[in-house]
Amino acid sequence: MIDPYKTLHLEKNATLEEIKKSYRKLAKQYHPDLNPGNKEAERKFKDISHAFDLIGTKEAKGKFDRGETDDQQRHQYEQYRNAQQGRQQSGGHRYSSSFGEEFDADDLFESLFGSGARRAGRGSRSHDMNFAGEDELYQMEVELKEAALGSEKVITLPNGKKLQVKIPAGIESGKKLKFKGLGKSGVGAGPAGDIYVQINVKPMPGFTRVENDIHTEVPISFFEAINGAEVEVPTLDGHVMLQVPPGVSSGSKLRVKNKGVGAGEHRGNLIVTLKIVMPKNINPEMKAAVSKLQDQFSYNPRSQV
Amino acid sequence: MKLPLRRPLGEVSEICDIPTEVIIHFIEEEWVNPIDSELKMLDEEDVCRILLIQDLKDKFGVNDEAVPVILHLVDQLNFIINNSNGDTL
Repeated sequence: MIDPYKTLHLEKNATLEEIKKSYRKLAKQYHPDLNPGNKEAERKFKDISHAFDLIGTKEAKGKFDRGETDDQQRHQYEQYRNAQQGRQQSGGHRYSSSFGEEFDADDLFESLFGSGARRAGRGSRSHDMNFAGEDELYQMEVELKEAALGSEKVITLPNGKKLQVKIPAGIESGKKLKFKGLGKSGVGAGPAGDIYVQINVKPMPGFTRVENDIHTEVPISFFEAINGAEVEVPTLDGHVMLQVPPGVSSGSKLRVKNKGVGAGEHRGNLIVTLKIVMPKNINPEMKAAVSKLQDQFSYNPRSQV
Repeated sequence: MKLPLRRPLGEVSEICDIPTEVIIHFIEEEWVNPIDSELKMLDEEDVCRILLIQDLKDKFGVNDEAVPVILHLVDQLNFIINNSNGDTL
């Protein structure tokens, strides 16, 4: 009596996913196409298939584990096995038997590539062979600014040819640009392949892209947070003056319109997160002044917590 | 004669972890000829052929144009071996 778990190299408590995984692996390993003429591999392949049939679905596994798999199902496998053997005796596997008895091994190239192929095998190119050329993939690193606002670059291909790459504004890292027909030449009348240039955007310190917005953090002083101020903030294309309203907290976000990623009306915004930074050295005079202010204007920032 | 190891397309898709659309594509390209094409039932030979094609495409980067060429070679090689009756090739 077959133990399907053992046949599939599994423990009794194997999950359905593990059963499927093991079946796929073993079925490929012992498949007759990959082990031509190997009777042992063929037998194992059939045993694996049968084992999977017994425990390969939730219902079948449940039935088998409860000892409810009937003998009929096991007998059906024997019938199947016999049928397979009969099939092989009368002409081999389904796929390989389609060549017929008159098959001549010398005609292998002809049947594959047409009558010109044998000549091709001896050095000349066949007019009957038409294959599309291979695609080529290249990687290109670009700065965040170039990806955000768009740019043009020229790259030199391994064959020495120059390729002008127009980077569209707002392109995301990992996207591929296609250059049709510039890949490897085709065979015969086959078209040339394409070139793909994959864009890798280099990170830019201080700037993070979130969809079409750019996020950055700007430090402000304790006094600027209380009084409000106009502070200079960097953007992808130069500096701008940002109006900070009085009474902001650390973590407050302000938006600078149209300073994000993309072009025209699709351009995103710059999102500035404010960070209140205290002076490095607090001298006694300052401490005394703040204490005085604290006595007069004390508040509890945790009242809502 | 009963042939119990025939499976519907959906089940094969689950076993192979390959979407049914992809398997249908293999069938439409005539790389896989289901044992029962009318009912779209596949047998173990079909299942392994599907896994082989998927491996060729995924692991070896074989494109659609080359798949039938490789399958044809594999089938012919099997035919020669099955019919050689032990003769040395």
